[in-house]
Amino acid sequence: MDMFFHAAMLALDPWAIGAVGLGTLVGLIFGSIPGLTFTVALALALPITFSMDSVPAIGLLLGTYIGGMTGGSVSAILLGIPGTPSAAATVLDGYPMTKKGEASIALGTAVIASVFGGMFSLIVMIVSVNLVSKLAIGFGPAEIFALVVFGLSTICGLCGGSMLKGLISGVLGLMIMTVGLDQMEGVPRMTFGSVNLLQGVNLLVAMIGLFAVPFIIEACSGHMETKHKRMVRVRAELPSIRLLLGRFWLMLRCSVLGTGIGAIPGTGGAIASFLAYDHARRTSKTKESFGKGELDGVIAPEAANNAVTGGTLIPLLSLGIPGDPATAIVLAGLMIHGITPGPALFMNHATEVYGMYVAVAVAYVWVLGLQLLGIRLFVHVLKIPRDLLAIGVLVLCVIGAWSVRNSVFDIYAMAAIGGLAYLFIALEVPITPIILGMVLGPTIENEFRTAMMLSGGSWDIIFTSPLAMIFLGLAALIIVLQAISELRVRRSNQQKVNA
Amino acid sequence: MIFKATMKGALAALATVSMLALPGGARADYPEKPIEMTILFGGTANTIAQLLAELMSQELPEPVVPVSRPGGGGAVGYSHVAAARPDGYQLVWNSNSINTVTHTGRVPFDYTAFAPIARISVETPALGVNSDRGWASLDDLKAAAMAGKPLKVGISGKGSFTHLVSAALFDAMGIADKVMYISYGDGKAPVELMAGRIDAAIQWPGQFSSYMQSGELKVLAVTGAERIEALPDVPTAAEQGVDVDITMWRGLAAPAGTPEGVIAALAKAAQAATQTDQFKAATGTLGFTAAYMGPEQFGALIKQDDEFYGALLGELGMGM
Repeated sequence: MDMFFHAAMLALDPWAIGAVGLGTLVGLIFGSIPGLTFTVALALALPITFSMDSVPAIGLLLGTYIGGMTGGSVSAILLGIPGTPSAAATVLDGYPMTKKGEASIALGTAVIASVFGGMFSLIVMIVSVNLVSKLAIGFGPAEIFALVVFGLSTICGLCGGSMLKGLISGVLGLMIMTVGLDQMEGVPRMTFGSVNLLQGVNLLVAMIGLFAVPFIIEACSGHMETKHKRMVRVRAELPSIRLLLGRFWLMLRCSVLGTGIGAIPGTGGAIASFLAYDHARRTSKTKESFGKGELDGVIAPEAANNAVTGGTLIPLLSLGIPGDPATAIVLAGLMIHGITPGPALFMNHATEVYGMYVAVAVAYVWVLGLQLLGIRLFVHVLKIPRDLLAIGVLVLCVIGAWSVRNSVFDIYAMAAIGGLAYLFIALEVPITPIILGMVLGPTIENEFRTAMMLSGGSWDIIFTSPLAMIFLGLAALIIVLQAISELRVRRSNQQKVNA
Repeated sequence: MIFKATMKGALAALATVSMLALPGGARADYPEKPIEMTILFGGTANTIAQLLAELMSQELPEPVVPVSRPGGGGAVGYSHVAAARPDGYQLVWNSNSINTVTHTGRVPFDYTAFAPIARISVETPALGVNSDRGWASLDDLKAAAMAGKPLKVGISGKGSFTHLVSAALFDAMGIADKVMYISYGDGKAPVELMAGRIDAAIQWPGQFSSYMQSGELKVLAVTGAERIEALPDVPTAAEQGVDVDITMWRGLAAPAGTPEGVIAALAKAAQAATQTDQFKAATGTLGFTAAYMGPEQFGALIKQDDEFYGALLGELGMGM
């Protein structure tokens, strides 16, 4: 307990609180501006932490991480452009809410769901880090493969009208990620001898292209309905307590889901938020309203993707495994301050670990304060005429695409993928499954191949694992349920026609 | 008229002076703008490079800016720097990857496209196993491999550095045909070892240290010629009668044709950076050894390694 008080004193030092606050602010800004990503913000913040004391240094990085994770929802809701892959699911209902003039309610709810999810996962982490990390070790390649198949099955719920179009889009996402140097066998695939293609298509770059480019084209092409509605009714209204309390159980369920998925090494925020969205849609009494501005569709992914922040810290601290590029930078920050993650971390660096817990809590307090103030400002973005806004977004996207890997190739890649996305939207093919395919593609492929190498090519490794079978069963269930509901819709449509 | 003529004369004089002054001045004043250092990989490679850039910036009048250009096992970043003007403003944070990237045919040039500046650091791979297996030395591991099923050895990927080191080690132990390689992404090997899904894995010492303290993993050998500071009780493979000596070096290089004066200035700044307390502290926390080596020796080392890795990749059927 003494140790905890000592750590709390270090972490609650005005400098440390300031460092966390600065990180949170930078993360929120990078996360919420379309094109800029908080992974880049973390990379910029890392060298600054070299000369700082360990607790404020890690507080700065954690603040940036948490601020970025939360900020990703702002542009997802206001402009339909997710700031991070984890916020892609938030677009589905958040953006329609903005179109209905409920932007501030969506934003306010997103922040509160995020903070709830984050704090929940922090508590789980503090209470059960050892237990959870032991469970996480049980997730080998076969189990992670099955989990990702389960995640992929949520494509069913994202297809809108046509399952076929959804599958086309999802499979395309999977295919795009096969371009580049294959790490496992060390061979180039689909690169046509080009060194630039060896680096493959970056997920963040593709995300910018998929969501921002169609926005830019639509805004500038002049004949879309958005142009006429450029003066959306802007109210800076926050969600009422009653509204939130009514959704308490949903928030809690999605937080559990997010924490659990975050704790499994090699998964991340995106899969958690899509699974949570699917869960919310499936358990909702008003399924039809999803995709048209349903508040539950904002709460679920936001609670889940922020619950991932605490969840991800479990394998990061106890096993030294970063869940995504952003946490890999946090790991580098820990290492340079001599805090080597792993089973011995809690013996050697208990003070720093407790300090991190406090820093995460402080970061969420900052997020809540900054966002609730910020919402009043953010919504005014909607007053800017769309075409002018689009020019700003265009500039930011080019800078953003370039800054991910400092590569001009990525600017072209963003433009090409964006053009494709615009075409897809015109053909009414949903684009969210592409991003899901891209997020899950490398994991699903690599884990499957590793599993096959381990078993010498035998499928038994999957069939004999109870965990893997549970996830595959859940995936099958989702697919069957979807098929049944599609048949029902078709039949009732036919009856209408006949009548 | 007179005024005009004077102006003309003055301008001409100015132009002449500046033209005379520029070439010589530019060399003497290097650097007169920020220097870009291309980083090829994430993880420890990136962290060391960022620290080095920061420390070198304090030695030079202009900052050294680390710029990450990952992808293609280093091919993307090497190509960028190889194509840059050899004026000392584009450097690459290189490693043995220059040899592997050449011999796997990912880039159309080899190490001669770069002028070596300095070796900065060395990392020594270590072979870890699960403590429950009860193996205490390489001999125990060999006995187990000879007696039972093939060993499952975790690597980052085919042709990766962990793969090459494993291949060389098991070849020298005479059990090359008793090994099954399992490709993982980076960094997951310790967990997979702990879970018992694989039998052994080569990783960086930093990734094993925490697990060794907690007693869950045991490190049987390091593959360098000497024991390392981070794991003083772990014997080298050579001490156990296995003839291997492989370490990973990291250093700085510029495009071939960069003036010698510039190389010397950069080498001097790099050397000073490696002698700072901050850099020495980082060797402990990040798990590497500071190992400055000047341009000429460094060049010889790269050449020697090029032959070694070319031959090794050829044996593994991955060479060109």
